Formats: sequence, structure tokens, C-alpha cells
Amino acid sequence: MQWKDTGWIQMVFLLGMIFMILLNIKRAKGTKELYIRRIAGLNAIDEAIGRSTEMGKPVLMVPGIGDLNAISIQALNIFAYVTRTAARFANPIRICIANPAVYTVAQEIISDVYQKEGLGDRYDPDSVRFVSDRQFAFAAGVSGIIHREQTAATFFLGEFFAESLIFAETANSIGAIQVASSTETTQTPFFIAACDYVLIGDEFYAASAYLSREPVLVGSLVGQDWCKIAVIGLIIGGFITNSIEQPKMLKDEESGKMRYLKREERLIYRIFHPEVDQEKEAK
Amino acid sequence: MNWLFLAQAETPEYNFWNGAPGSPALLTKVVIALLVGIGIMIALMFAPTRLRRPLVALATFVAGGFWMASTFWPTAPDAVTEGRNASEKVAIFLKDVTSVVADFSNVLTAFLLGLGIYSIVSVHGKRILKRQQDWSFSVVLFASIVLMAIFGYADWMDEQNRTAAVTALSPGFWNRGRDLLFDGMLQNMDAAMFSLIAFFILSAAYRAFRIRSVESTILLSTALIVMLSLMGVVVSAWDGLAGDFAGGNLKLSEISKFINSNLQTPGIQAVKFGLGIATLAMAMRIWLSLERGGLNS
Repeated sequence: MQWKDTGWIQMVFLLGMIFMILLNIKRAKGTKELYIRRIAGLNAIDEAIGRSTEMGKPVLMVPGIGDLNAISIQALNIFAYVTRTAARFANPIRICIANPAVYTVAQEIISDVYQKEGLGDRYDPDSVRFVSDRQFAFAAGVSGIIHREQTAATFFLGEFFAESLIFAETANSIGAIQVASSTETTQTPFFIAACDYVLIGDEFYAASAYLSREPVLVGSLVGQDWCKIAVIGLIIGGFITNSIEQPKMLKDEESGKMRYLKREERLIYRIFHPEVDQEKEAK
Repeated sequence: MNWLFLAQAETPEYNFWNGAPGSPALLTKVVIALLVGIGIMIALMFAPTRLRRPLVALATFVAGGFWMASTFWPTAPDAVTEGRNASEKVAIFLKDVTSVVADFSNVLTAFLLGLGIYSIVSVHGKRILKRQQDWSFSVVLFASIVLMAIFGYADWMDEQNRTAAVTALSPGFWNRGRDLLFDGMLQNMDAAMFSLIAFFILSAAYRAFRIRSVESTILLSTALIVMLSLMGVVVSAWDGLAGDFAGGNLKLSEISKFINSNLQTPGIQAVKFGLGIATLAMAMRIWLSLERGGLNS
């Protein structure tokens, strides 16, 4: 990336955001007083597990079909919380996975949860399953498990694509409580239409902080809010400068007539596209 | 057996990290890398528990730092092969190493896929042995895995000795078998699963669009406008009736355009901004090992 020539402002903004996040993590250490607004989907986790305990049916969890990345790690973090609650009530769990790397990490995390709760004997290694790495084979496999085992609660959290609605509608058809979230904005409407609770956008990432109230995570969440304020500020700044420049007129060099500024001649555009100025200088 | 096909055929220039296929230099490098890898694994296994966390943190930091550097470090011009200054030298080093490091994850994934297959064998093997409900489907699964592996591999080996034109004219036994299994069965079953979405959309939309609250009424109204705006006959009739009334803004196509560009797009952009910032925060926590087990700590 030739940031020196083309995008230094993005680099500065990125470093600024990283600074804000790390600063707030440092600030939040040692305090648990920071406020996080209520998120209905996360409050519903205990309700869903309670229901499956009453019915004696398993809780199903799917961390999406993506690779081992921040999204799947976050989904497994939430599943660790769900598993711990389920383990206390001796409730069976099923975690269906489409990626071998995620499968290995999930096995470690879930086994660790049972060990830490002192319930190692309740851990069933087959409760974490690699189903298939092929999208629709995975969809068919998970739908089969939902039907055969009549899961009472389902958690679809992570990176979902076209298979999202197949899962959600299958689980809905057997009356399971569903908590879902997809980092793919194209799939979120499907989950909203078919599931009981949906975590939209960054609510998915806020889950760890919301459920654990750990200072590092809460501080990070506050840092994210600062970043959002900075982005909003930038949008407002762009709106104002563009509005000021919009009615400005200048004399066209070629035709000699007065004209409005072109998009690439406006301040905000030039800040984010410094190569335009460099090309002009080169000419 | 000819193992030369495993060599990196797409890398014509050799550097510290690779070598000519079959050359003693490459073999030596592979052996050294293997020994170093085994050494690291043994060291990790015998490392005291209190040392493991810092070691993992260090490995995470180095790996993350490498990708950060390879993304943000200014690249050297394509024509430059020998660095003229420190910046270009680093850029060329990063360029050489990136493909090697990317291969690390491929090798790891290959090992992990073996663990995934073990999981499938474990779950379905127990089901067959214990004659649990629907055990016959597990038998079909095993048969499918074995058949697909045999035909896939045999066809691939066959292809090494035949050109594509020859295969197209007279496909062999393995090629026909592989086509039947892959194109004739697997692809069609995939398509069948995909086609289910059409019916699921209908049932999900029916439930979502029932008028139960103010929100669902707004959802229904906007969805109706957008859906109608995609029907040519309706658009033509509506726009004809609306004419230039209220500056032409009551035309169905204009209302739909307004919803798309002023309500839907900004909403999606806002969600994406939130997701992007949250991913950045999560990545920083993982990179700097601040995550410490998250909800499992």
C-alpha cells in the first residue's frame, strides 16, 4: 500500500482510532462503572437455555461458515458463555462447524469451559462437530440435526451467507427460540424476518463486554464509541465543507466560462485522494 | 512416483525461502524447516505452563506484526528486484516472505482438515456401531466420502497423463465416474438446497410482514413500495397517474429511489462502520493478547 503517496489521511485516521481504543482500555482497567445499554438478544440467552433445560432438548450453536478470524473467535466467546450456563444445568449442547481450524479451536474452548466449571465428566467430545466445509452440505447437515434432535434453542452467530435462512426457517419450523447475528449485512434482514432475537452490526462484538463486564472489553467498547463519534464528526465536516463549496464558481480554463466546482476539485475529495493533486503537478 | 508436481511451479525466482523443485538445496531447506518445526512443538509441549501464555502472546504479536507490515509497508516498483534503499529492501523481503507465510496457513489447514474428518468418522462411526436412529444415512455418508476420494484422486492422476482435449474426446472411466458423482450428484444436491431458500423467503416474509406493531407496519409499507417498484406494469401505471404532480416526486420509481438511497444505503453504511470499528478493536485485543479468554476467563 503506497500510503505516503495516496492515502496518508486514512493511515492517520486508523492510527487515531487505534489510539482511542487502547486509551479507553487503559482508562477502564480497574473500574466496572461504565454503562452499556440493554441488548435484548443477549438478555434472551439465559431464557433460551432455561427453556431447553425444561424441555430436555439440546442447545444448538453455529459460528457461521467463515475461516478462523476475529468473527469466529467472537462467536466462540459467546458460545463459551452459553456452554457454561448449559453445563451448569446439565443441558446437552451441539456446536456445528464448517471450518476445520474453527472446529479445533472450538473443541479446546468448550472442553476448557467444562473443566473450569469442574464438570469435565459432562463434556461430550462429539458435541462439537465438524459437519462439512461445503456450504450447502453444511446447511443440509445442520438442518438434519435441528430436525432429528428437535433443538429447543439455537444460536446462529458469525459469518453467514445464503444458508442463513435455511437454518433460521428450519429452526423456526420446530419452534426453537433463536438468537442470531450475521456480520454480513445482506443476511441480517433474513435473520430479522425469521428469528426471535437478532444482534445487529456491532452488537455482536459488544456481546463479550455486555456479558462479562470485563474492564478491558468494556473499555474497548467505549473506545469504539469514541471512534464512531469521530466518524460522525468527519461526516458532518464533509457535509459542511461540501455545502460551502457547492455554490462556489470558477472560470473554466478551457472554455473561459464560469462553472461550479467539480467533485474532484472539492476539499474533502482532495484530502482523501491526494494523488489528484500529484497528477496535476506532474502535468 | 513423480513428486515434482508438489513444487511451487508459479514461483520462477528462487530466494532464501524456496528452491528449484527436486534440488538438494530445497531438500535441505525442507529438512531444516521440519526439524525446526518439530523442535518448536517439543519446546512448547515441555514449556512450563506459566511460560506458555507469554510465548503464545509473542507468536501472535510477531504474526500480526508481519501482516501489518506486509499490508502497510510501501511496496517497491515491480521492476526493482534489488533494493536501492532500506525501505525497498524491506519491501522486497516482505514480498518474498509473504507467499511462504501464506503457505504456513495452508499447511496448517491441511492438518486441521484431518481432525475434521476424524470428527465425522467419530460421530458417524459410533452411530453405525451402536445402531442408533438413522444409522443407515451414516453408511451412505462413509460410502460417499470413500467413492468421492477414490474417483477424485484417480481422475486427477489420470489428468496428469492426458491433455484436456484428449479427455474431452474420450473421457476415461475415472473421469466419467468423477463427473457423475461431482457434476451429476453433488452439484445438483447443492442446487436443490439453494433452491429451498426461495420457499423459506416466502414463509419468513409472511411472518415478518404481518401487521402486529408500528415497526412491522412501516416494514410492510416500505417493502410493498420497493416490490411494486420492481414491477414494470405497476410502475408504468402509477408513474403515468402521478405525472409531474409535486414535482414528479410522487412517481413510484422516485419514491423507491428515495427509499434506497436515503434510507437503506445510509442504514447499511452505518452498520458497516460499526462493524468495521468493532472488528478493528477486536483485532487489536487479539493482536496485543488483551482478549485473555473473553467470556471464558
